[in-house]
Order: sequence, then C-alpha cells, then structure tokens
Amino acid sequence: MLLEASEVSMAFGSFAAVSGASLAVEEGEIVGLIGPNGAGKSTFFNCLAGDMQPTSGRIVFAGVDLTRTSPETHALAGIGRTFQVPATFEDMTLLDNVMVGAFLRYPQPEQAREHARRILGLTGLGGYAGQRARSLGTPGRKRLEIARVLATRPRLMLLDEALAGLTPTELQQAVALVREIHASGVTLVIVEHIMEVIMTLTKRVLVFNQGHVIASGAPESVVREEAVIEAYIGRGRRKRRQ
Amino acid sequence: MRYGAVTLWAALLAYPLVLYNQFYWDIGVGLLLAAITASAWNIVGGYAGQVSVGHAMFFGIGAYAPLLVYHLWKLPPVAGVPLAIGLSLALAVIIGVPTLRLKGHYFSMATIAIAELIRIFVGTWDLVGAAIGLQGPAVGRGWWDLTFRSEIPYYYIFLGVLAVLLSVTAVVERGRFGYYLRAIKAGERAARSLGVPVQQTKLKALMLSAAFTSVAGSLYAIKTGFIDPESGFGILVSVQMVIVAALGGAGTRLGPLVGALVLVPAQTAINTWFGGGGTGLTYILYGGIILVLARFEPGGLHELWHRAAPLLRRRARAA
Amino acid sequence: MLLLQVIVGGLLLGAVYALFSSGLTLIWGMMNFINFAHGEFVMLGMYVALVVVTWIGGGPAAFGLGAAFALFVLGVVVYLSLIRHVVRGPMLAQILSTFGLALLLRYSAFWIFSANFVSLPQTSLSGTVNLAGILMPVAQLVAGVVAITLTVALHLLLARTALGSRLLAVAEDRNAAMLMGIRPDRMQALAWGLSAGAAGIAGALMAIAYPWSPSVGETFGLTAFVVVALGGFGSVPGALYAGLIIGLIQALSAYWLGPVYKDIVVYALFAALLWLRPQGLLGRA
Repeated sequence: MLLEASEVSMAFGSFAAVSGASLAVEEGEIVGLIGPNGAGKSTFFNCLAGDMQPTSGRIVFAGVDLTRTSPETHALAGIGRTFQVPATFEDMTLLDNVMVGAFLRYPQPEQAREHARRILGLTGLGGYAGQRARSLGTPGRKRLEIARVLATRPRLMLLDEALAGLTPTELQQAVALVREIHASGVTLVIVEHIMEVIMTLTKRVLVFNQGHVIASGAPESVVREEAVIEAYIGRGRRKRRQ
Repeated sequence: MRYGAVTLWAALLAYPLVLYNQFYWDIGVGLLLAAITASAWNIVGGYAGQVSVGHAMFFGIGAYAPLLVYHLWKLPPVAGVPLAIGLSLALAVIIGVPTLRLKGHYFSMATIAIAELIRIFVGTWDLVGAAIGLQGPAVGRGWWDLTFRSEIPYYYIFLGVLAVLLSVTAVVERGRFGYYLRAIKAGERAARSLGVPVQQTKLKALMLSAAFTSVAGSLYAIKTGFIDPESGFGILVSVQMVIVAALGGAGTRLGPLVGALVLVPAQTAINTWFGGGGTGLTYILYGGIILVLARFEPGGLHELWHRAAPLLRRRARAA
Repeated sequence: MLLLQVIVGGLLLGAVYALFSSGLTLIWGMMNFINFAHGEFVMLGMYVALVVVTWIGGGPAAFGLGAAFALFVLGVVVYLSLIRHVVRGPMLAQILSTFGLALLLRYSAFWIFSANFVSLPQTSLSGTVNLAGILMPVAQLVAGVVAITLTVALHLLLARTALGSRLLAVAEDRNAAMLMGIRPDRMQALAWGLSAGAAGIAGALMAIAYPWSPSVGETFGLTAFVVVALGGFGSVPGALYAGLIIGLIQALSAYWLGPVYKDIVVYALFAALLWLRPQGLLGRA
C-alpha cells in the first residue's frame, strides 16, 4: 500500500470540509476523485499534499506517517501535486520553473538543468524552454506545472483538475501525457470533472459529496449508483421524469 | 550585455583617476556605498521578495560596533567589523524567525517597527553615546585606523567590497539557493509543494543580506568617523536601500548598482542646486520617484531596458 | 490623583489611536494591504484643521468635518489612481506605492508648513474641567469621547448595516461578492475613503488637544500598526480595545520611566507580540 489515508477530517471552525475520508492507493494505480463543487475534494487533496494539517485522521505514505508534516516533507517523501489554478512561477522561464523542481533530487545546477531539459522534452515543452511562464496560456501553464512536479521524481502525483478547460485536441494530448507518466511508474490520484477522462484513465474512483466519501469502486458502476446521481443532480428530478 | 559589464567595471576603476577632484570623489564614494547597501538588501528583498524596510538595523550595528570598540577600548575600528557581523547575524535570526512567517505587508511593517525600536533604544543608551552618537579616531594612529585624508583609498576599498558582494550574488544566482529564492518570491505555496524549505531559505537569505549590510555600515562609519542613531538606524537609511535597488531593478544582480549610478548623482545635483532647502526637496522627489516606479514600472530600469531594447534594435535595423 | 490623571489622559489619547487605527485595520482586513501613508493621513487631517481655522475661521465642527471630507476624498483618489493598480502586481510595488506616497506627503508638508510644531489657536474647547478631583483639559476630553463614539459608529456601520455587509462581503470573497451584484472596486474605494476619513477626523481631534509637526505622521503610522497588530487585523472592536490599551501603556511608561520611553515600550510590546501571538488579541491568524 503506497498511500493510506484513514478517516481524514478537516474542519474550519464549525464547518467540516472533509469528514472521515479514507483512501488506500496501491503503487501503480490511477485513482479518481469525483464529486460536485465544494464537496471537499480539493481540501482532501491539500491534506494529502501536506498543504493543510487534517484536524483528525492519519496519512501514511510508503510506511511513513506524514499526517502532521509540511508540504516540503511530502515532496521529499515522493508526493507531488499540481494546483487547480496553475501556480507557475510567472516571471521565470519554463526551464527555470522546472529546474526548481529538479533541484529537489539534483542539487548541482548542471545536473538539475539537464534533468529539467529532459523533462521539458518529455512533456512537449522543449521548444519553449527560454520563454517566461507568463507567456503561456492556461493549457501550457498546466502542462508546465506537470513538468515541474515530474522533475521532483515523485512516486505519487496528485493532479488537481489538470485536464480542465482544454480543447478536444489538447485534451487528447494531455491524456496521452498522463498515460505516459503512469507508464513510467508514477502512481496517480486525479481530481476531475470530465467523466470521459475518468472513465478512460482510472480503474477506481471515489465520490465525494459534502465532505464525505459516498461511493467507491469502478467508474462505470459508481456513476450508476443512486447516491452519486443524487449528489450531482439532486433529488426529485429523476422521479419527475418518470 | 557582457561588454556592458566590462565597460562598467573599467569605468568604475578609472573614475577617481579621470575625474581627479574632491567633489567627484565624494560622489563616487557615496555612490559605491549606496550600491553596496542596496546590493546587500537585494539578496533578501529583491531575489526572495521579502521587502524589508528596516534593514538599517543591520547597517546601524555595522556602523556602531567599530566606533564602539574604538570608543571603549581604543582598538582600531576595523577590529569591530567581525563583531558587527556576528551581532547582525544574531539579530537576523532573532528577528527573522518570527517575522519571516508573516505575509508581505505585515513583514515589511514589522521590520520598520523593529528598526525604530532599536533606533530609539540606542538613543537612550549612554554606553553607545545615546543621542549624541560615537566618533572614531580624529587622527590615525597608524594605517590600521584607516583614517585616510584622501577619498581615493576609501573609494577602492568600497569598490573591492562591492566586487566581492556582486561575485557572491552571482554565485548565489547560479546555484540552487538562488533558484529557491526566486521560487519563493514567485510563489511560496508552489515552492513548498516542490520541496523548497521556505522558512530556512528565507532565513539564510536574511542572514547573508544582514552580514553584508553590516559591512556597509562599518565602511560608512570608518570613512565618516561618526555615527548617531539617526544616521545609523534611521528610516531614511532603510528607504534609500530599497529605492536604489528598486530603481535599477530589484532581483537583478546589477540593478542596485545601476540604481546607485542614477540616484546618487541626481541627489547631489539637487542638493547643489537647491542648497539648504535641498534635503526636503530630495525626499519629495524620492517619494515621487518611488510612486512612479511602483505604479508604472516596478521592475525598475532593468525591466524598462529589456522592454525598450528590442524596439530600439528594430528601429536601428530599419534605419 | 496624578496617576489617575495620567491613566485617564492615556485612555483618552488611546481612544483617538483607536479611531485612526480602525481605518488601517479596515483596509488590511479587506485587502491584505497596509497603507504605509496612513500616519500621514492623520497628519494631514491636523493641517486641514489648521487651515480651516486660520483661513476660514471655522469652529470644531467645521474643521472636524472639513478634515473628514478632505481626507475621504484623498483616500478615494489614492485608491482609484494608485492602489487599484498595484494591488494586482508584485509585492515590492505594493509596498513601495504607499511608502512613496508617505514620503511625498510628509516632505511636502515639511516644505509647505515647515518643521515647526504648531497648534490650533484657542478654540471654544480650551480650559480644564474637574472630574471627581481629576483635572482634565476639555480638549483632550472632547477628543477622546468623540473618538470612541466614532469608532463604535464605524464598527456598527460595518457590522450592522447593509453597506457594511457589502464591504465585508468584498473582504471575505471578492469573486463571490461580484456574483452577488456587489461592485468590489466601488466598495474598496469606499473603504479607502472611510479609512482616510477616520484618520482625518482623528487628526483634527488631536489637533484640538496637542501640538504637532509634519514629523508626527511617521509615529502615528507605526502606532496604528502596533494597535492593529495587538487588536487583530481586520477587527475594528480589536482596534478599539488595543488603542485604549496602547494609549494607557504609553501614558504609564512616560509617567514611570520617562517620556522618551513611551515609544520604546510600545514597540517592545510589538516585538513580544511577534514572538508570542502574531494574530493579536481578537484577530484571525
């Protein structure tokens, strides 16, 4: 078991963003997290990444308890993440952006640069290495974020809506990239709204609603569960149709 | 840009020999001092984006320690420099640990408040001269007192220190530490997620910056032979560092030097033309420059140049 | 008896601190922005009062309102022409913007009014009054009482009125507020106006009771900051309590240790706060 999150809860004052969420991920899996907006997926993600400290529960990665540790520690341990709203280093070049990631495993600048170039090539950004991140559009920034995280050589990557807002062609390329990353041995947990992506990429999904995990299993069966449909569409409408 | 840098250094080396005049030497020394303090500030304020407006706290320690060791034990002021650096490093840690956790504006205000605290406190402490301040040796007892009658030795000492500082900055820029500083400035949260040890890195930057700012203060005190709470710890000392760096381009290696090259002569010009009322006007102008800079070109002259250069090149080619 | 007088005097001055500090905390809570020129706004309020009295010959109400109005306008103008633009940019620009403004205002005041300390000519608020054995200058008493009233009024405006909730909505979540039909830009401009106006009136109130020069802006700015840090960012009630406490501490420090120590103790308190409780008494971390 690579990642084991047990009974994770995150409360902000009296508001429980996440309640008792559990997730077990084997090395090599691709797991999806779905659910309506505000259901707690991103908060859960933040706990997994160390950005937030859960109010209760445990997060164990590769046998090490990371529950109350910093994002830096998580990164060092091998957990990488992207952000829902891309947080690239705008005024730095693409190469420099990725180098920051590379430095985690390659302290020497020449090696870090070489590794960064390689990663940029792998992700199809090689031609833009010298441009500032600011010059990219959102799809480019998302891809850069992925490249940057990849450079840290993570064992597990948390992708937060990395495929949202793309044209069909871009989406195809992005899915291909995600597949390649997975094939290279990285375990993935992805948050997505695009059902097509979830269906094709993941073998297992967890459904969040109002802070709780309300369903889990293979994507095809989970989307047919009543609780899940209700969560997205709401009660009563199905009945009216009949 | 390579040729530019070489020309610049050649010009700086030749300056006092070409413009062989007390007036120009004064400007030169002032210019170098401004460049040193701004470049020191630049490490933590420009590269890491932690805008300290209280750096005078380190400058003041750097200035007081040498004159204090002379005042108390009649040692050559230069002997106080290591003491100054040590104290500044200690202060950087004591201040840095709680304040570097703070976000943006809060951090800046905190640095102002602490520098003020130190300034007022020093003004009440008799051991360090209270409001009157301290003086260095009026006449040198030997070369080690560094009381030269001509500005020229000071000029070259300052130039040497600047060269060392800028070399250190270059080394920082190229390595992991420099990349991490820039990442912190560009996005702390993202930097953390990539394993950057944000708190530690900021603190190291502050310590490095503090050490060099302290040296600058020592140079000032040794040259001037006098220090008091206002000239050591005053807010205007802190502000000048920031403006000089920002004007040339904060976060770039030569930005602070460029800023000094523009601002110090300008300041001298204003003081000369307006005589006594000059100082008031200087600061009105400072305020105006800062405002315009902040509003229209926060990247300073460096950014302006980078934007203008391609346009100028195109015009030159078309002509 | 003298001690009691010192205490009351300190509290009254603290009330004025509370008033202008609530302006600072409002902006901070709303935009995560510190106005480094806030102290200068207070200082300008004092000079507006002086100008109104000497040129137009108005009484306390006139120059109080004059200061409030003039500074309100200045606050809005500063927001629209400067703040609105820099807030979207790099941190250095944000900090430099109001800092540059502070220098510009402070040294322009030195230029125009000279560095001499001035005070308002005798107004209807001169003389002292005897309150249960304590002798209190009427001016200080009026300044303090009006200051508390206005601070409480500001708090009520924010907490209890529709306008206030619109302002707070923008502070809470700008995008959500936009979706609800609130114009964040307008609300922020209004907040800057209120903030500057509060500073202006506070200045006018202090002008009644104490002499000043352009140099006071720097100290007021720092005092406001310590008050806001103590009371908690974004909290007007916090600013009220903290203002009173700081005023009291200053007065007692001056009384027991000597006048030069009054600022040291306040800044030392701030340094301690940094280490122990950066979010202040009533603030969110």
